[in-house]
Amino acid sequence: MEPLPLPTSLAEVEVLIKELYRPFQQDVARIQDVLHRLQKSPEGWQLAQTLISHQEDEIRFFAALTLMIKLNRDSASLSEDDAKGLLESIINWTIQSLNDGAGAIVTRKLCSALVTYFVHFSHLWPSCVRHFIYCLDLGRGTRADSLDDALTTSILVEKLDCQKLKVAVWFASTLVEEVGKTDMNSAAYLELHGRLVKNGSDIVCLLARSLAPPTENSATKIQTDALSCYLAWILYAQRASSNTDLLVTPLRQLVDLAIQCFADEDLLHATAEVFSDVLSNYSSFFTEEHYSSLAALFDSQWAAQHYQQLIQGNHAEDGISFGLLMLAYGDARVQELMKATDDRSRRFMASLSGLLAANGYLVGEDAIFVPALEFWLTFIETMIDTSYSDDESETRVWKPYAEEHLKAVVLNCWRKVQWPPAEVFAEWDLQERVSFGDARKDVADMLQSVFTLEGLSFISYFTNLFLQSLAAQSWAELEATAFCLSSLSDCISEDDKYDGELSKVFASGLFDLLGEAQGPIPLRLRQTALSLIERYCDYFERHSEFLPNALNLLFAAVGDPVLGGPAARSISTLCSSCRSILTGEAGAFINHYQTIRERQVLDSLAEEKIILAIASVIQSIPDENQRLPTFEELYTVLKKDLQLAVQLKAQPEILNLSHPAFLRGLDPPNPQQPPSAEEISLQIALRSTRCLASMAKGMQDVKEYPVDLESDPQDRPLNSKLSTLQSDIMSVLIDIQRSFSTSGEVIEIICNIFRAGFSETEPGPFIFPASVITDYFVQQPFETPRMGALLSTACSFVGSLYRGPTAYVPSQLARLLPWVVNLLHTLSIPENDTEISQNGICFVDKVMSKYPEVLFQLQPSQHLEFFFLFTIKVLQGKEPLPKAAAADFWSNFISLKPTDPSLAPTVANAMNHLGPLIAQTLISNIGGNAARSELDKLSEPLKKLVTQQVRAQAWLEAALSDESGAFPAAERVSVAERWAFVKKVVALRGQRQTNQVVRDFWLLCRGSSFAYVS
Amino acid sequence: MSLCQNRLQEERKQWRKDHPFGFYARPQKNAQGVLDLKVWECGIPGKANTIWEGGLFKLVVTFPDEYPTKPPKCKFHPPLFHPNVYPSGTVCLSILNEEEAWKPAITIKQILLGVQDLLDDPNPESPAQAEAYNMFKKDRAEYERRIKRVVRENAAP
Repeated sequence: MEPLPLPTSLAEVEVLIKELYRPFQQDVARIQDVLHRLQKSPEGWQLAQTLISHQEDEIRFFAALTLMIKLNRDSASLSEDDAKGLLESIINWTIQSLNDGAGAIVTRKLCSALVTYFVHFSHLWPSCVRHFIYCLDLGRGTRADSLDDALTTSILVEKLDCQKLKVAVWFASTLVEEVGKTDMNSAAYLELHGRLVKNGSDIVCLLARSLAPPTENSATKIQTDALSCYLAWILYAQRASSNTDLLVTPLRQLVDLAIQCFADEDLLHATAEVFSDVLSNYSSFFTEEHYSSLAALFDSQWAAQHYQQLIQGNHAEDGISFGLLMLAYGDARVQELMKATDDRSRRFMASLSGLLAANGYLVGEDAIFVPALEFWLTFIETMIDTSYSDDESETRVWKPYAEEHLKAVVLNCWRKVQWPPAEVFAEWDLQERVSFGDARKDVADMLQSVFTLEGLSFISYFTNLFLQSLAAQSWAELEATAFCLSSLSDCISEDDKYDGELSKVFASGLFDLLGEAQGPIPLRLRQTALSLIERYCDYFERHSEFLPNALNLLFAAVGDPVLGGPAARSISTLCSSCRSILTGEAGAFINHYQTIRERQVLDSLAEEKIILAIASVIQSIPDENQRLPTFEELYTVLKKDLQLAVQLKAQPEILNLSHPAFLRGLDPPNPQQPPSAEEISLQIALRSTRCLASMAKGMQDVKEYPVDLESDPQDRPLNSKLSTLQSDIMSVLIDIQRSFSTSGEVIEIICNIFRAGFSETEPGPFIFPASVITDYFVQQPFETPRMGALLSTACSFVGSLYRGPTAYVPSQLARLLPWVVNLLHTLSIPENDTEISQNGICFVDKVMSKYPEVLFQLQPSQHLEFFFLFTIKVLQGKEPLPKAAAADFWSNFISLKPTDPSLAPTVANAMNHLGPLIAQTLISNIGGNAARSELDKLSEPLKKLVTQQVRAQAWLEAALSDESGAFPAAERVSVAERWAFVKKVVALRGQRQTNQVVRDFWLLCRGSSFAYVS
Repeated sequence: MSLCQNRLQEERKQWRKDHPFGFYARPQKNAQGVLDLKVWECGIPGKANTIWEGGLFKLVVTFPDEYPTKPPKCKFHPPLFHPNVYPSGTVCLSILNEEEAWKPAITIKQILLGVQDLLDDPNPESPAQAEAYNMFKKDRAEYERRIKRVVRENAAP
C-alpha cells in the first residue's frame, strides 16, 4: 500500500493524531508511519513544543511522546544550554498539565519524558528528584543548578499538595523502572546508575510523606502508588547491591511506615504484594526487628480476622493476598520457624498448616492450597536436609514440634484430595479437573518426602486410617487413603515390617467388596483400589496367598469401559513379575480370557496386555511338556482369528456383523457406517497379529543363561512339538502377509515378532531356527512394504547371530548379503528411501566387521563394486542418516585388518582404488558441502585414513587441488591454507583435536557468515 | 549453592507458579527420597487439534553441571516414534543444541513447549531416526496411522 503523504499544516497533523487514536481505526500502520516520519524529522522538536499546550489530551500525549522520541534519537545534537532550557520547559509543561486539569495520561507521559531526559542528561540533572520536587513546590520549572538556596527536601515534600505529591511519586516510579532497564554493568550506564543511587535519600523523604496516612481529606489515594514505587526502589536496590549505604539503609527506614499501611483495608492487597514480593525475592532486605514486627502483626487480632476470612471466604472474589503474605514470610524464615519452639512461632506454623484446610474444593474454589503445599514441601525438604546435617541433640529439641505440624499437614491434605461427589465433579470444566489431578500429584510428592523422615510409622498411620475408613464405609476417605498408600509404593523396601502393615490392607474386607458385582463400592474407589494392587506388585510376589484374589478382581474388571485399560495393565505387571508363582493358574487365565472374549470385544490395547500377561506365565512353566500344550491352547485362539481374517479377505461375502469374531475388526468399535469387509478383515488381521506379537514378548525369558559360542547348534535337537509349533506360526505369518500384502503394518508387526525371539538364548516357539529367518528374508522382494523396517530387523538378526554359536553364521550371512545388496541396487538412488539406504549400509558394515571374507566373496563381483560406489554416493549426498551410516562404514573399511592372510591383498587392492575417491568425498564435505552437525561423524573416516593408510596425505592433497569442483571452496581458500590443513590433520595422527581442525577448516571454507551468532 | 542448583531451584519455583496446561515437570527423588534437581521427569501433552491430541509423553530432562551455560538433554521414555527423536529417545531440537540456538535464558517451560511444538511440526532437516523420518516423507497416511497408535499407547489419564 502507498505510504501517506507528509501533512503540510498543523491542522492536518492534529487530524492524523486523532485518527490514530480513534477506536477501530483500520489504517493504524500507515498513519503511524507518517507521524513517525514527522517525529523523526528535524521539525519534531518544534512540533512537540507547539502541540504540548493543546487542549486535547490525545494531542498532548502525542506531543510528550514526540519529546521522548527526539530525546532518544537526537540528544547528541543538543548543546548544553539547549538541553538545560529543554529541562526547564518539560518541567513547566508537566506542572502546567497538572494545573489545567489535563488527563493523567498526559502528566504521566510527561513524567516519562523527564525520565528519558535524565537517562540522556543525568550529568546536567544529578539531583533530579529533589529538583523536580522543588519545582513542583515553586509551581514552575527552573534551572537544575538553582537548588543551592532551596529548603531541605523533607520540608519541600511537606509543602506539596496531594496532586503534586502524586506526580512526584509517578516520576520517582518511572525513574527507577526506566533507568533499571539499562544495563548496570555496562560502562555506558555506570554513571547514570551512580547518579540515580545518589537520589536515594530524596526518594526516602518523598516516600515517607506519601506512605503516611493522608492528613487532608483527599479523594486521591497516593499510598497505593507510593507502595508500588517503594517496591520498585527496593528491587532496584537489591540489584545495585554495592550501594547498600546510599540506598538500602535509607529504604529500610520506611519498613515500619509500610507495615502501617496494612491498617487501611483498601491498601491490604497493595501492601501485601510489596511484602510478599520482597520476602520472596530479597528476604535479607528486612532486619531482625522487621521480622519481629511482622511476627507480631501475624499474631494480632487484625491478622486473626483476615485469616478467618481467608479460611472461610471466597477466594475468587476476596483474593488470597493475605495468605500469600503469610507463606512468603514462612518461606523467608523457614529455617528459624522449623527450629522454633516458642508459642508465637508455633501458633504461626499452625496457621500455615491450617491454610491447607480452607473451605471449598481444590483448586477451583480453594486457591490457597497449592501455594501453601508448596511452602510445606520446602519446609519438609529443609527438615530432611537439616536432619542429615545437624547435630543430633539439637535436632531432638525441635523435631517433635515440627512433626506435630507435619501431622496436621498430612491430615489436611488427606481431606483435601478426597474426590467431590460425582454431581459436583460433573460441573467442573476441564481445567478444574486437570488442576485437581495435579494437586493430588503434588500431595503424593509431599507424602513421599514425609516418608523419608517418618518411615514405618507413616505407613501404619495410613493403614490404620484405611481400616477406620473401611469400617465406617466412608468411601471418599477410603479412596484418599488408598491413593496416599499407593503414592508411597516406590518408597517402601522389601521388609517384613512393611509387609505386615500392607497385609492389613490387602487382607481387609475391601477386596471382597470389590469382587461383588453389584457391590457398594463407587467407581473411583474401585479404580484406586485396583491401581493399589498394581503399585504393590512386589508385595504380591512375596505374599502369593493374596495373588489369586487380586487377579480375579482384575480379570473381572477387564471388560469395564473405564477400568478395563488400567486393569489390563495391572494384570500384565502382576503376571510378569509373579510369573513363577502363577504357573498353576495359566489354564484358568486362558479360560478367563476366552470367557471375556465371548462376552464382548475388548479394547485392543487391553487385550494385548492380557495376552502378554498370560504368555509370561506360560513362559515360566518349568516342564516343557506342560508348557507347550498350554502355549498351544492360547495360540490356537489367536490362530483362529488370523485364519478368519485370511478367509474374509478371500471371501468378503462371509461377513456377519452379528458374530462377535467379526466385530473384532471394527476400529473404532462403533463406526457410524460399517466399513467394507476388506477393511474389517485387515483390522482383524492387525489386531490378532499384534496379540501374537504380545505373546512373543510375553514368552521372553526374564532369566539369563550363559551362551557357549563354540557349541554346535545341532547338538540340541528341538522338541518335535516345538518345531511343529514354530513351523505353524511361520506359515500363519506368511499367510497373513500374503493376504494383506500391501499393509506395512503387518510387516512391522511380523518384524516385532521376530525381534522378540532374537534376544532369547533358550529354545521357544518364537525362537525360530536361523535358516528359517534367513529363508523368510531372502524371499522378500523389493516391493514388500516397509522394506526399511525389514532391513533394520535383518541387522538385529545379524546381531543375535553374533551372540550365539558361531558355526553357521557365515552361511547365513552369505545368503543374506546378496539379498541386501540387490535391494540397494534396485533402489539405485539412495535418497529414494533413506531407511533402506541406512539399514542396508549398516547391514553390510555389520557383516564386514566380523566376516570380511563373506563380503569379499560376494558374487557377482560387480555387486561389491556397486556397493562401494553406492556408499560413496551416499557420503556425498545430503541425507544425514544414511550419510552417518556410510561414514561409519568407511571408517571401519579403512581400518579393516582381516584375520585371514589371503584376504589382505584383496583389501589392499580395494583400498588403493577407493582411497582417492574416499579422500575426495571427505574433502568435498569438509570443504563446505557437509552440514555442521555432520562434521564429527565425517572426521572419523578422515582420522582412520591418516593413521591407517600411508598414502593418505597424497590422496588428500590431490583432492584439495582438484579444480573440477570436488573441493567446493577452491576460490575462497588459498592453497597454503589447504596444505596447512592437511599437515595439521596428518600431524594429529587421529587424535581428538582433529575434529576441531576439521570444524575450523569447514568454517573457513564456508566463510565466516556461517558462524552462529548468539 | 552452585549456579546450576540455584537456577534449577528458581525454575522449579517458576514452574509451580505457572505452567502450561496439561504439562507436568518435577525433579526426581533419589533412593533416600532426597530431590535430585538435575533430573526432571516431565510430561508433554499432544497439542489440541493435531494428531497428537490425547497423548501424554514422558520426557526425562537431565541437566549437566554446566547448566545453564550448557543445555539439558531431553529423552523420551520410552523412545518416541518421531522424525526428530533418536532411537535412544533423545530429542534433536535446535534450542537444545549448544552449538545452535541454546541460550542460558531459555526456561524449562520454553523447552517443554518447544518439544510440544516439535511433535506436530517435525523438522525434516535434522532427522534422528530413519523409520519415522522416512515414513513421514514417503507415506503420510501411514505415518498418521502410526502416530494415532502411539497416542493411544500413551493416552493422557
